[in-house]
Amino acid sequence: MKIKLIITIAVTLMFSVACTKLNEKLYDQVLADDYGKSSGEIETIVGRAYASLRGFSDATSNAFPTCEYVFFLDECVSDEACIPTRFPGNNWWDGGRYQEAKFHTWTSSNLMILSSWRYHFIGIAKVNQVISAIDNSNQAAEAKSKIKAELRGLRAYYYLRLLDLFGNVPIVTDFVNNGLPKNSTKAEVYAFVESELKDILPELPGNIIYGRITKNVAYTLLARLYLNSEIYVGQARWKDCIDACDKVTGYTLEPDFFTSFLTNNEVSKEIIFSIPYDHKAGTTGNYLSSMSFHYNQHLAFSATGKWPWSANGMCGTPGLYKSFDDKDVRKKSMLAGVQINLATGTPILMGDGNVLDYTDTIQEFGHANENEGVRLKKYEVKDGEVWERDHDWVLMRYSEILLMKAESLVRLGSAALAQPICAQIRSRAGLNTPADIDLQFINDELRREFLFEGHRRTDNIRFGDFFKKGWNQNVTPAYRGIFPIPISEIAKNGNLIQNQGYN
Amino acid sequence: MKLNKKQRYTFLVRFAFFVMSAMLLNIGTYGQETEKVLVNGVIIDNAGQPLPGASIIVEGTSIGTMTDVNGAFTLSTFKGKIVKMSFVGYKSQKITASSSEKLSIKLEEDFITLGEATIVVVGYGTMRKSDLTGAIASVSADDFKKGVVTSSEQLLQGKVAGLTVIQGSGDPSQGASVRLRGGTSLTASNGPLYVVDGIPGVDINSIQPSEISSIDVLKDASSAAIYGSRGANGVIIVTTNRAKKGKSLEYSGYVAVGSVAHHLDLLSANQWRKYVRDNSIANAVDYGGNTDWQAELEQTSMAQSHSITYNSATEDGGYHIALNYLKNDGVIKKTYLERMGISASAFQFALKNKLRLEAGVNTNFDKWSVIDNRIFLRSYNLNPTIPVRDENNNFSNVPGTLYENPVEINTNRTSEDTRHRLLGYGKAEYEIIKGLKAVVNISYEYNSHQSGLYKPTYAVMEGKSSVGFGQKSLGDYRNAQLESYLTYNKEIGSHKLNILGGYSYLDYMYDGFGALRQGFNTDLFSYNNLGAGYDAQAGDVYSYKGNSKLISYYGRVNYSFMGRYMFTGTLREDGSSRFGSNHKWGLFPSASAAWRISDENFMKGTEWLNNVKLRLGYGVAGNQDGIGDYKSFYIYGTSSPSSTGGTVSVPYFDAQSKQWKLSYGPSQNANPDLKWESTATTNVGLDFGLFNRVNGTIEIYQKKTSDLLYTYNVPVPPYLVGVQLANVGDLTNKGIEISLNANIIKTKDFSWDVNVNASHNVQKVVKLSNDAFKLSDSSKPQAVELGSLNGLTGMTGVFTQTLREGYPVGTFWGRTYQGLDENGNYILGPDTTNLGNVQPKLNLGLSMNFTYKQFDLGISTYGMFGQKVLNASDMIMYDGTRMPIYNVPDDFLNSGIGKNQPPAYSSYWIQDASFFRLQSISLGYNFSIKKIGIEKLRFYVTGENLFVITKYKGVDPEISIEGLNSPGIDMNNYYPKPRTFSFGVNVSF
Repeated sequence: MKIKLIITIAVTLMFSVACTKLNEKLYDQVLADDYGKSSGEIETIVGRAYASLRGFSDATSNAFPTCEYVFFLDECVSDEACIPTRFPGNNWWDGGRYQEAKFHTWTSSNLMILSSWRYHFIGIAKVNQVISAIDNSNQAAEAKSKIKAELRGLRAYYYLRLLDLFGNVPIVTDFVNNGLPKNSTKAEVYAFVESELKDILPELPGNIIYGRITKNVAYTLLARLYLNSEIYVGQARWKDCIDACDKVTGYTLEPDFFTSFLTNNEVSKEIIFSIPYDHKAGTTGNYLSSMSFHYNQHLAFSATGKWPWSANGMCGTPGLYKSFDDKDVRKKSMLAGVQINLATGTPILMGDGNVLDYTDTIQEFGHANENEGVRLKKYEVKDGEVWERDHDWVLMRYSEILLMKAESLVRLGSAALAQPICAQIRSRAGLNTPADIDLQFINDELRREFLFEGHRRTDNIRFGDFFKKGWNQNVTPAYRGIFPIPISEIAKNGNLIQNQGYN
Repeated sequence: MKLNKKQRYTFLVRFAFFVMSAMLLNIGTYGQETEKVLVNGVIIDNAGQPLPGASIIVEGTSIGTMTDVNGAFTLSTFKGKIVKMSFVGYKSQKITASSSEKLSIKLEEDFITLGEATIVVVGYGTMRKSDLTGAIASVSADDFKKGVVTSSEQLLQGKVAGLTVIQGSGDPSQGASVRLRGGTSLTASNGPLYVVDGIPGVDINSIQPSEISSIDVLKDASSAAIYGSRGANGVIIVTTNRAKKGKSLEYSGYVAVGSVAHHLDLLSANQWRKYVRDNSIANAVDYGGNTDWQAELEQTSMAQSHSITYNSATEDGGYHIALNYLKNDGVIKKTYLERMGISASAFQFALKNKLRLEAGVNTNFDKWSVIDNRIFLRSYNLNPTIPVRDENNNFSNVPGTLYENPVEINTNRTSEDTRHRLLGYGKAEYEIIKGLKAVVNISYEYNSHQSGLYKPTYAVMEGKSSVGFGQKSLGDYRNAQLESYLTYNKEIGSHKLNILGGYSYLDYMYDGFGALRQGFNTDLFSYNNLGAGYDAQAGDVYSYKGNSKLISYYGRVNYSFMGRYMFTGTLREDGSSRFGSNHKWGLFPSASAAWRISDENFMKGTEWLNNVKLRLGYGVAGNQDGIGDYKSFYIYGTSSPSSTGGTVSVPYFDAQSKQWKLSYGPSQNANPDLKWESTATTNVGLDFGLFNRVNGTIEIYQKKTSDLLYTYNVPVPPYLVGVQLANVGDLTNKGIEISLNANIIKTKDFSWDVNVNASHNVQKVVKLSNDAFKLSDSSKPQAVELGSLNGLTGMTGVFTQTLREGYPVGTFWGRTYQGLDENGNYILGPDTTNLGNVQPKLNLGLSMNFTYKQFDLGISTYGMFGQKVLNASDMIMYDGTRMPIYNVPDDFLNSGIGKNQPPAYSSYWIQDASFFRLQSISLGYNFSIKKIGIEKLRFYVTGENLFVITKYKGVDPEISIEGLNSPGIDMNNYYPKPRTFSFGVNVSF
């Protein structure tokens, strides 16, 4: 009897001790510590840092891809574009974020501002993490410093954008220390960007490598920094800007303005830096065309209906179309007028039975009709394309170098030297150039050349238009030259101090 | 309880008789007390079956004994003593000890104590209801929901106080959501743990609904804590049919027809024309048709169900086999659920009846079709003058946004989903010595879901733009479990002791893969030949695999004295691979006690009070559902979260090789502190029986959940990934539940039973932040904006709910509607205020059963009261700017809302969704034709969802409140519920 009892209990207990280990085996993921050993693996980690430029479409952390809120914010506060609230319904009201942008009444809870902040800081955190992973790898010291130079250049790109957008942002270069960062002053951020760029220049590749940080990209960033130096730190550095522009080499203006905006725009000899996209490789977040055209526009682009849905959102501000000379090839960056059905040859109707006719006017910003406002058509539109577009997102073009130099020359009183530079750009656009050029001319030319490329807010600030009364734009106090730090970022990090003027 | 005249009379007579007989018995005690006699005999029930375990006590002493397996007993006492024989579920009897002759005492069943005698399945064992110390509700098959049942949790809807079962859709492939006593988690599922025949954590639908014989709901932590880190949301124990003594063959089946019970009232084509005329809308296009777009999507549904069971058993062994088939069409075209199932189980005694072996297998196969939910919005949007098909019989397609022909979408899409479920187990019970039993239960669950979807090259949504879109996926999981435990029972006089100790091991493994492809030259292959698509893209193929382990040790002690004082203590230790390295093991204790007051001497004389038992329990149970696997590690991945909630891979362009490659980066921050959510419950319960007619239970509880999991937004940098799952908050649920079960009339020919249950729960989020993790999702620090209206035109970034400390989950915040101005524009209050909550204040279930001779009639109803719903469907549609493009509701024309007032969120659209639904009426007739070999023959008709009383204006007030993000929001996509009539038969041989 006793034996039976013991055996049974023993057997039952045996089951109990058989499995007491809670060992965890990963199958479809890898522990961070187990990855990043070989140079091949390192390359894929560095790739993630560059991929951060596309933005992360992540609903939970309110980050949106580059073409959406990062770009929307840059454009909607400027004098060239807007997103009106449209009938029927309250389309594109979306809590008022686009109205705030146009009226220059944004608050620290505006979601576009939050999205832009996160976009840039997510990029910076990625760079810092990759730098740390490289430090911990067994790469040779020389290889390490070369890779790190590129990554620091990328980080400087983000910081220059942050300086421009938010001014007094925290400088974080350390990945290991997990403390909550504190604000740095504008001047510190400015100095950091300049010294980082200068520091890495010797290590950066001098040739043209598409979509990578090179010497040319670093000099372009320096030129941008110096061009706006007066705004950033109250110290004009036009001469430094010209010097930096002169260091950018190997590029030419494409004879056709729109070559840089083709679906396969990687062929352009003008692009200095861009974000590469290829939807078949799995890139996401490149759908600007679909943010602008009317729902029924696909009838004009494809006879068989193979063109994706579009949302009838962003358009040019009233009078924008009119302000372009009809001979200016760049006027085609906008779509205006009656749209024709490709299959039937008849005008396209909207849902209410009226003809789809994009106007250069917007009667009421808060209650716009479906067809009001000219549309963004800078990047190529192709029959059969899908939601995720394949054109690369242009960040820097050689014509920007030319116009930065021209502006600096005009500002230094050498307008005559600037004239032939402007003429290069004008003649490509099919226009003559006046003999005498001035700052207003430069200002207008910047809008015409870089229409819908996200430059306009910075230019508006530099030329002062940002603070004047404009179409639906209130007279704007100087403190709004930078955005407020998003309230939810301050909530997470008590060390952050709000920019002056915002409460 | 209100008694009628006749009842009162009967009651008085019975009471008088009872008092008299008690007096007579007392007189009998004036006898001699000197001579000893040996009282012996058997105790039997009405049917003559012996009653083992009945107690025999000499009144006024603690001398007593119990009947053995054969109902026999022997008791030595003095002549003339009163001996009381009692057994729960039966009226007790008293005799005067007089001689030593063998007695045969028949105990009469008793309504009140019968309830108390119910065998209740608790974790790792069974108990009589009378011995329980925790809050456990039992529902037997007779009381399950009648009519068409497509998912087993539906059986419980409206049946258990405190158990909210919400069927938020009329789609036959959609189950109901189940929530016990309010939700305890923000992140994890709030569904209970299902235990099927002793196997925890398996899919309740592994079992056919018709094979379930009873369901026990462990409500409080003192009963659920034995399930440790998975018990916090209660435990639902499912017991299935087993071989019963004898042989029987049974068939049951039904056919049912259904139609949509309610859909929205929108303008008809002629109403639309009149509106356009009356308002002189120029250029409005009349397409000449006359279409009710909602009706075009609907169909009359047919359902049929058949099940055959065969049963054969003796004392030593037996088996049970069940075959089932169900085909249920939905009321929206193309939807259906088809299911086939087989269950088989067998048992055998061996080794002189000391070893009991049991094995069983349940397997079933489901097939259904998934519709595109976007058809509902389109059916509300489309102009009713658009014909479904144009003059060439092609689907009409008017360009516009959110304007695709819903009939075209539904017709041109092919979808088929299948699921295979297998649950097999083997169980051995060995009685080592008397009272000591060892049990080993090994089980294996396999669940595989396969789905295929194809949108042809001519389909307007996605099909055309991607030139054919095909997708196929397979995902499965396996649960391999071992439970081994020892139980020891001992009774010494009036002391009863039961000890349990055990160990369990669970290995959960899931994996799957899928593929999609676009660009097809032909639509002939559907989703069956994805390789035929030419447009290969990154992300076309994927696969995944993961694993988790759970190891547990548990123990329980039950002690009762005289059946009057009871105590239970449990302890469980759970170790889970999901927990962070700093908290690998969690301990879950509980203790509870009960006191049967009605047995006390001081309660004598209150005979109308048949039973009073007070229970008190406290326990801690956990929830590890919200963690997921590998969530505590710092992980690298090729993908990052996407805006749609999934993930997208992150490629990069390698300029050197001019090729795209996949990048790697952190996909998750490390959190070694990650652990279970823990819920401590205090429960006070009172069971009572009144007038021999009414059984009732009142439960009052307080649940406090701490270490609440939530995905916090964290600053980047210093964090690598912007979100972090962490244990931070606290929340509480408090409530009261009442259930009454009354046998109002019981005569030879007529009986009338009533069951009522009601419950009230109040939830409050107490804490959401600590020093390390703060809420920062929104413009409101220390609050999370939820209830997003993303997806509604112009409402991106508009939030309707706020999660904040001091309020329940699903609280609407917004501006108050204060009327309309002269132009019909909204006047809204300036401030954002609390606009109410999605959680019901009162849940009610009421059912009645009547029998008259061979007829039986059952009526079941349920209701939810006080919950608020955001009627976002109406909010968007009560908008004059929609016309003439989009249709509007009839009622909009009477609303006074101006033609230029665009939609706006305010209290106007927060509507009271209280409702009371007639769940079913079922009328049956039993034939008595035993002569021709038919044991039982019953025909019945059942009507379901015959009416709903509600003020709510949407399709249906029963809106899902699952999840944190948008509970209780009616978002233009409600699959309407059917009204169904079925005719069925049960026959057994």
